[in-house]
Amino acid sequence: MTLRIKLLLVSLLTLALPWGGCQYAREMETALRAAEEQSLTAVARTMADSLQGRADLLYRGNSNDTMPPGELDLEAVPLAGSPFLDGYADEWPAVAPARKYFNQGKDRLGVLAGVHDRMLYLLLDVRDNKVVFDAQDADPLDPATFGDRLWLGFQDSDGAERQLFIAASSPGPVQARYIETRELSQHVAVEEPRITGAWQLKTGGYRVELRVPLAMLGERLGVLVDDRDSLGAAPKSYGSLQGADLRARGRLIAASPALADYLAQIAQPGLRLVVTTPAGALLASAIAPPTTTLQPRRNFLQRLYRNVLAGAGEHRTITASAAIHESGGRNAIGQLQIVQNTDRWLTLRDRALITLLNFTLVASLIAVIAMFAFAAHLALRLSRLRRASESALTRAGLVTTFPETNSQDELGDVARSFATLLGRLDEYTGYLRTLAGKLAHEIRTPLTIVRSSLENMESESPPSAAARPYLDRAREGSERLNAILVAMSAASRVEEAIAHTERSRFDLAAVIASAVAAYRMAFLQRQFTIAVPEQPLTMEGAPDLIVQLLDKLIDNAVDFSPPGSTIAVRLTREPNVARLDVENTGPTLAPENRSKIFESLWQSRLDGDSRPHFGLGLYIVRLIAEFHDGHATAQNLPDDAGVRFTIYFSLQSRQ
Amino acid sequence: MKRLIAIIEDEPAIRDNYAAAFAREGYAVRAYANRREAVAAFATRLPDLAVIDISLEDEPEGGFELCRQLRALSAELPIIFLTARDSELDAVSGLRLGADDFLTKDLSLAHLTARVNALFRRVDALRRPPEASQILRRGALTLDAQRMQIEWNGKVVLLSLTEFWIVHALAHHPGHVKNRQQLMDAANVVLDDNTITSHIKRLRRKFQALDPAFDAVQTVYGMGYRWTE
Repeated sequence: MTLRIKLLLVSLLTLALPWGGCQYAREMETALRAAEEQSLTAVARTMADSLQGRADLLYRGNSNDTMPPGELDLEAVPLAGSPFLDGYADEWPAVAPARKYFNQGKDRLGVLAGVHDRMLYLLLDVRDNKVVFDAQDADPLDPATFGDRLWLGFQDSDGAERQLFIAASSPGPVQARYIETRELSQHVAVEEPRITGAWQLKTGGYRVELRVPLAMLGERLGVLVDDRDSLGAAPKSYGSLQGADLRARGRLIAASPALADYLAQIAQPGLRLVVTTPAGALLASAIAPPTTTLQPRRNFLQRLYRNVLAGAGEHRTITASAAIHESGGRNAIGQLQIVQNTDRWLTLRDRALITLLNFTLVASLIAVIAMFAFAAHLALRLSRLRRASESALTRAGLVTTFPETNSQDELGDVARSFATLLGRLDEYTGYLRTLAGKLAHEIRTPLTIVRSSLENMESESPPSAAARPYLDRAREGSERLNAILVAMSAASRVEEAIAHTERSRFDLAAVIASAVAAYRMAFLQRQFTIAVPEQPLTMEGAPDLIVQLLDKLIDNAVDFSPPGSTIAVRLTREPNVARLDVENTGPTLAPENRSKIFESLWQSRLDGDSRPHFGLGLYIVRLIAEFHDGHATAQNLPDDAGVRFTIYFSLQSRQ
Repeated sequence: MKRLIAIIEDEPAIRDNYAAAFAREGYAVRAYANRREAVAAFATRLPDLAVIDISLEDEPEGGFELCRQLRALSAELPIIFLTARDSELDAVSGLRLGADDFLTKDLSLAHLTARVNALFRRVDALRRPPEASQILRRGALTLDAQRMQIEWNGKVVLLSLTEFWIVHALAHHPGHVKNRQQLMDAANVVLDDNTITSHIKRLRRKFQALDPAFDAVQTVYGMGYRWTE
């Protein structure tokens, strides 16, 4: 993996930024919600306190007696609209747990109370196998004309007990009436115009729908059925009124209309206020719509963020509640509940979150791009350093000025250490390169002393026969030493000679052909084949050096090939280069030696060869090839029968 | 009267060995270790031939300076550089200063004395009128073997002893290729290929200085050199 990719991957870690932002947003939301809930609870508390002791509002009564909830209590459910008074249950909720039943044998009275717009509605279902209407046009107070009747008993708002009866001589609208005792104990049935309703038959009984203004009502309310099997018969009475005086035994659990007004008054935008009895029955509620409605925009980004934030914002509402106490007491007379719709601030939060995410995403993007650019820059510098370090040290010494050495960072340190290291290496190789020459030079003087002394000794006093061999050996040894010295300093001499060589244009093919012709005569033990292009192959260089190069190659080929074998010389033209091949049969090169053989003082000599041999021949070949902007290579022949040396010369003019 | 050879060499053992060898050949020898001593002695008497080492005690190039001083005193005095150095540059410098030969110390004493003798012969010959029998003419070339002097188109080409012998060997049999070994034998030296090549180059340049069209010394690649007319 390249440095670039690695740094790119590392830079992807900056994507943790938006992730962190999301986490932060989530935390913030939780904290905000908690704070909101707290403040909402405080608000609920305050509102509940403002309702403390207001039983008149909650229950329309002014009594503070807090009877435990009784079986005869009627809970008024809030109705969505005012039911049409027709005796049918169409406008009523189909399922109403608040419906109360009163049984009498097989008969049964079902009472359902509802509140809407300052009116109490009652839906009375009576199961009666025999419905008896009042006689037509009869005196409502004449017991003989009595049919099935319903009694409504309640405390009015002033606390006075009132009883009204509902009688019908046929299905249809009904009017409540009460019995008024006038002068002379004359009883009169007076219609109560505010309480109206409808009587309707139904399968197995009848149904009565009634409407009573809440303002009339006090705390208690009850309903009683007088069931008669025939006109004027003794009734079977049952319901929630006391049989004797028809006083209401149960309460009507319904708030004063003023409560709803009050709630509407104190409700704040976005809040829903609900007041319930301690048992949870709804008394009143008020909704204040938010002053500003923020239409939540759901674009792609937002959906994406929502998914990222999965789980957040699921609770769309916040609820807080507080108990409403009786005045001065600890007993709860009701419960205030505040529900806040969170849509508004969820939207606000979404906006802030999107801004945050956008910023962090842009920041991440910038970081990634910057990181990538930085990595690319770094890789560029590194590769420049690598190229420089690979090519800095050549045979001619340290040729490259090292890049990056002026940089102040670690790369600069590396470059400087590299430059120092290569400098030292250069000094060392330079030292090694000149060592042989220097050594030869230093040894030459003592060797000259030895040799001239030997020669003088021989000339002054001819040695005895016994001493002669020793003298000969001494001279022979010094000659060999001298030959070694010459060979050792040859490299520097050759380098010097090459450096001072002048270039001229010449026909390489003719030079090679001429030289090979000479080798035929010089090396009678070898066959030579030659192939050169027919066209002159003109190049710029030094023909003397080319011949010297060829001499070394042929010497090498002759040394390593068996007598009688053939040495092949081939010159071919390739684009911009001339290629010279010299092939001989014989031992092959070990792969690890292929490039070493062109080094100075490297030798691979055959056993039994005692001539001083410093492996300079192929080094000279290389020097001459490089002088001609070329290079030398060696490889084994395809069938491993021998070795092929290939020299490339540049055909391009120097200028 | 014996000829006087001055040896200026800072290595006592070599100095004494050379002195002994020359003395054996019948020369008078004076040996000096440094330039100061030599110059002082030359003020009273010039030697007949000087053998000079290039680096002398504390002067790495003292030999060159001495050569310059000697040449100033005498234009004809044969001067041989004998040195442990074998760099091409040194040889060129030495010969340009007017030395008659530039030899390395691995030359044997026998070869050295042969050269000294040859130089003395030349000195003698230059003092006598030329002998026709010793004169070889090849076109524009006139070669006086006795005086070891070569003229090209009537003008004297100043060659070192080695160069003279090389031209001599080539011009004697025009058209015949002489290989490097043959040339070395003729010149009484042991040189490597490159040195022969540079000698050839140098003498070509000397001829070309007189005649830019000079092309008589030809390279036969792989074999050697030949004289063409």
